[in-house]
Amino acid sequence: MLKQYPTARFILMRAGWYFVTFLVAVTINFYLPRLGPNNPVDIIMAQAGSGTSREDMRIKEEMYLMEFGLVKMKASRDAGGRAVKEMVRDAEGKPVRASNFEQFITYLGMCLKGDLGTSFYKQSKKVTDVIKEAVPWTIALQLPTILFGWIVGNLLGALAAYRRGVFDKVFFPVALGLSSFPFFVFGMLLVAFFALTLGWFPPMGGYDNAIPGFNWPFLSSAAHHYVLPFFSIFLILAGGQAIGMRSMGIYELGTDYIKYAKWLGLRETTVLLYLFRNAMLPQITGLALSLGTMIGGALITEMIFSYPGLGMAMLDAVTKNDYPVIQGVTLIITVSVLIANFTVDILIAFLDPRVKAGVQMGKGL
Amino acid sequence: MKLLKNLLKSPMFVIGMSLFLVTILIAIFGPLFYAINTDRVGVPYDMPNAQFWLGLDNYGRDYVSLLIRGLGSSLYVGVIAGVIATTIGTLIGLYGGFKGGLADDILSVLTNLFVVIPQFVILILISTTFEKRSLALVAMIIGFTAWTWSARGVRAQAAALKSKDHISLARLNGDNTLKVLVVHILPYILSYVFMVFILQVSSGILSEAAISMIGLGPTGDNAISLGVILNDANRYGGLSDKNWHAFIPATCVISALVFALYLINTSMEGVFNPRLRK
Amino acid sequence: MMKVKRSWLKTLAAGAAVVGLGLASCKSGDGAAGETGFRRDKTLYLAGSQWGDPNTFNPMAESWQAAWPVNDKFNLMYEPLIAYNSLDGKFEPLLGTLVSHDTQKVVVDLNPKAKWSDGQPVTSTDVKFVFEIGRRFPGAATAYAIRFVSSIETEMKEEGGERLTFVVNKADRNNPLVILDHLQAIRIVPAHVFEKLLAENNNDLSAVQKFKIDQNPVVSGPYNIHHYNNERIIVKRRDDYWGNEALYEGKMPAPEYIIHPIYKNNDHFAIALQQGRLDASQTYMPRIWLKKKDQVGTWYDKAPYFVPGAMPMLLINTTKAPLNDKNFRRAMAAAISYADIKELAVSGYASDMQPGLIMPQGLEEKFFSAGDAASFGVAHNPDLAKKILEEAGYKSVLKPDGTLDYMTDKADNKLPQLTITVPAGWSDWEAMVKIAEKGLRLAGIDVRENPVDGGLYWPALPSGNFDLIMHKPAPSVTPSLPWTRFEAVMSSRDWAPVGGDNKMNENQGRYNQPGSPEYNARVDELIGLIPRMENEADIIAAYQELNRIFMQDQPAIPLCYLPEQFYEFSTKIWKNWPTSDNPYAPPLLPWVGASTKILWNLEPAK
Repeated sequence: MLKQYPTARFILMRAGWYFVTFLVAVTINFYLPRLGPNNPVDIIMAQAGSGTSREDMRIKEEMYLMEFGLVKMKASRDAGGRAVKEMVRDAEGKPVRASNFEQFITYLGMCLKGDLGTSFYKQSKKVTDVIKEAVPWTIALQLPTILFGWIVGNLLGALAAYRRGVFDKVFFPVALGLSSFPFFVFGMLLVAFFALTLGWFPPMGGYDNAIPGFNWPFLSSAAHHYVLPFFSIFLILAGGQAIGMRSMGIYELGTDYIKYAKWLGLRETTVLLYLFRNAMLPQITGLALSLGTMIGGALITEMIFSYPGLGMAMLDAVTKNDYPVIQGVTLIITVSVLIANFTVDILIAFLDPRVKAGVQMGKGL
Repeated sequence: MKLLKNLLKSPMFVIGMSLFLVTILIAIFGPLFYAINTDRVGVPYDMPNAQFWLGLDNYGRDYVSLLIRGLGSSLYVGVIAGVIATTIGTLIGLYGGFKGGLADDILSVLTNLFVVIPQFVILILISTTFEKRSLALVAMIIGFTAWTWSARGVRAQAAALKSKDHISLARLNGDNTLKVLVVHILPYILSYVFMVFILQVSSGILSEAAISMIGLGPTGDNAISLGVILNDANRYGGLSDKNWHAFIPATCVISALVFALYLINTSMEGVFNPRLRK
Repeated sequence: MMKVKRSWLKTLAAGAAVVGLGLASCKSGDGAAGETGFRRDKTLYLAGSQWGDPNTFNPMAESWQAAWPVNDKFNLMYEPLIAYNSLDGKFEPLLGTLVSHDTQKVVVDLNPKAKWSDGQPVTSTDVKFVFEIGRRFPGAATAYAIRFVSSIETEMKEEGGERLTFVVNKADRNNPLVILDHLQAIRIVPAHVFEKLLAENNNDLSAVQKFKIDQNPVVSGPYNIHHYNNERIIVKRRDDYWGNEALYEGKMPAPEYIIHPIYKNNDHFAIALQQGRLDASQTYMPRIWLKKKDQVGTWYDKAPYFVPGAMPMLLINTTKAPLNDKNFRRAMAAAISYADIKELAVSGYASDMQPGLIMPQGLEEKFFSAGDAASFGVAHNPDLAKKILEEAGYKSVLKPDGTLDYMTDKADNKLPQLTITVPAGWSDWEAMVKIAEKGLRLAGIDVRENPVDGGLYWPALPSGNFDLIMHKPAPSVTPSLPWTRFEAVMSSRDWAPVGGDNKMNENQGRYNQPGSPEYNARVDELIGLIPRMENEADIIAAYQELNRIFMQDQPAIPLCYLPEQFYEFSTKIWKNWPTSDNPYAPPLLPWVGASTKILWNLEPAK
């Protein structure tokens, strides 16, 4: 039906695939954290600690089980005849635990309403609020870093491919060396040198001495705190991108159009631009993917720098078995990576003549 | 053979390979020449001296011993994870790329699924479900979460080969899928698979370091890996007391190892694509 | 030169990153500090009491949920009746003054000048509300405390002011000692605020507990919440605090703001303190002597630097063979090198270990008997450990390379490997366990450390699912020590078997099972009697008897003495912190118990 609009058809197909992927991802996000032997209520009750009588403990435990949706509920009426929900109990009067599948169904229903549930630990805090607080920091750190790293890395890589010679001989090993650093240790080295020895930049935190908002003390302080985490990711990312671009560029350099352009005597910058544009296509896919790995990696950057963000929220939740938050964070990461990939697909659909011509793209994205 | 000759002409390969061989030799034979002792021998974070060349860690253990041990563990994790990831990736990629059709679609969805959920997130989630994590288990978890992009790469290569004449001929001859895959396709992409393997080993080493860094690395008695050493340095005041010897040597070892693997990979790329050489 | 460079970098960085950070600034700044930032010389930076995201500032919420300074026993916003000074064991007045205490009752006079921030006086109604809500709702935080009190009587004194009498509940717990603990720990909340909230919410306490109470709450303390987010909590001085007049001769606390940053990395506390970004911290920092040059101070200027207050220990599951054999447990106690633990795991921040559950110094010293410790306890002695094991019939089987393989018992049966459960990531505890493991293995005992996530550690403790487990019973210094420690380790009052839904919040090692042939009724008898004893000689005798039983039976193995809080301060911005040379307050951060007065004594360093 859409045969005559190959681009639209392609986009629709991709959307379909992504939706299926999304559904499976939600299921995995739900079940993976629950594979462990831990039970959040047990942990809370154990910490509620010394000096509580057994009867008090039982009452509290049931309260938490109900609040966290871990028990089966049934509709009922209270003494006044109002409709209420109450726990299903077994013969001994103990509440009946809801199975993972039952919890999953409840969760899906809530997700559809845009409700990601309530954190087990952050009292009455909606998971959406937890994410809302963390996401701006992660985006503020990751997005510019990834974009700049990607652009600078690709430019340098293209330049190295084009120039070769001494520039390449110096540049290439440096880029390769940079990209073989574990970036979190690189962060530690930056802290050791620029924060502790020279004292130029603060060693940790997202800001100091101010209340977040549009005010100068906050913005200047935040900017000052931004430098080291930024470079800890930027340099390594740029190094990796440069290497990829250099290879792509050298491939492209051998192609006829570049030879032709050079033969025509076009200015160097113009040739470089051509080269860049054509070698970039595969690199764009890399950009979308690095978003995913970076958010995962951000976790350690945030830990090294005590920097606020999604990674910290996730690590916090993992150590406490805060399932709703784990689910919420992984969901938001998955969704953003899916969207990034989808955007890239659309971009490619418009940029790549083969797609326009109706040639089916490789299914692997 | 010719391949090897070409490779040996590449200085990058020679440097990378020698560096890699040196690390392997140290990991395997180091214990024969250096008396490994991972017990307490002095005061915490003692500075490097004539007896202990790299000083002592927070438990007063000899850093040279720890690094040799850690290097061995990290290589072990890297190689096992690399083998697992490359094998799964190659099998899925080959089959999907060659078969095409529904099988390919299903495998592609499966692959993409694990591409879009960041590997590190899955790594964390799976690691937390295991109470005790041996080196082998950590290696397996990494391997089983890292195969996706090798599957994609191999799939693209296999799909490109599918339409080549000799393959079509073999299929016309009635050879079954397995035979075609093993006899006709695999040899052509073997070098590619090997490059994938090298990258998987290096990423396995980095993943181990990363997961150890957040405290989800190997546990137990033999749990001395480069990541664990770095995590200890981070946890026990390596930075605040400016104990550079706590994390700089370990960083150098990891980086050198990964750098060597990258060099090998890049030089091979150069041999297969002569334009990259020079 | 450096300064110029730094500000240049700062401006450059600011210019470059303002774009990216526009995204991060979600809320608009408020008030005075928004324009200029917080002036460093008027702001006190303190850390270590809040680790996760702050969730609620509701004093009725359970203490593990509330954020600093509403959780625990921090006195900045809500105050208890009296404050306990852990240096001299005396009670200091706060909302009230301790008049007398005996085995029948505890009497407290309310300070007639005490006021809430909305101008209402603090009265007996507030006090009764807080305690008696524990009777009204089983889920309330004071539900446990109120069991010790049969009634709270109030009377007006002739000279004005109210007098409160807490009558000891003889029928239930009959324990006046614990009432003192609660009086210095339970903070009084404004009844007029919370009764109203309860009434508006159908008298449903769990509904009221869900309010965050973070907007201009009605408090009685010297500071009130100003701003909070996941990175820091800021409280602002209340210049009309009633206690300035009534307790501090009209003086105000020196810092206008107190900021509690929330760091996620242990090392950051030490770095921040050395750089003057933090003024005090209560986190463990190894090798504190290296930090002195950066103006970091501690209570003592030299080792052990800190005042001991608590005993981390290995609890032993006494229901499981071979741990049910007290000879085996004593052998274990003899195998561990306490000196190594002290030096390696806690940087030497402790005095030498003595056998038993009583600390040989400070307020507990008077109960300690060196003679008993020498004749009944076991100290580190590997030969003794081997000898005890041999006499009891245990044998160690070695591998060909000379390392330990496994153990056998008297009947030559192979014994399973024992594990020591410890929360993974608790660096000092893990280090202690590693050292203990080494000593035990050297003595031929087949033990391995078992680091587990918090998610497994906490449930394992009360249910008894462990062989050995790290734990710190009675973690804070309260008026009832060392009784609380004995109760936490030895009491069989609420004995329950191991596993399943059976939980014990004390004596998690299931020592001294009632009804069993070995049951020693004297242990529970002494634990019951000590709180009611009035004669000091009797008390000393009882403690020593209990400690002798502990040393003979060894139901747990204390590993070292640690301070209640690691109290480290920086003199870069603020000076006149209490130290052993200037002990005007206990070595605790200036919001706990009697240490709150540090705030009135601090002076700007410049």
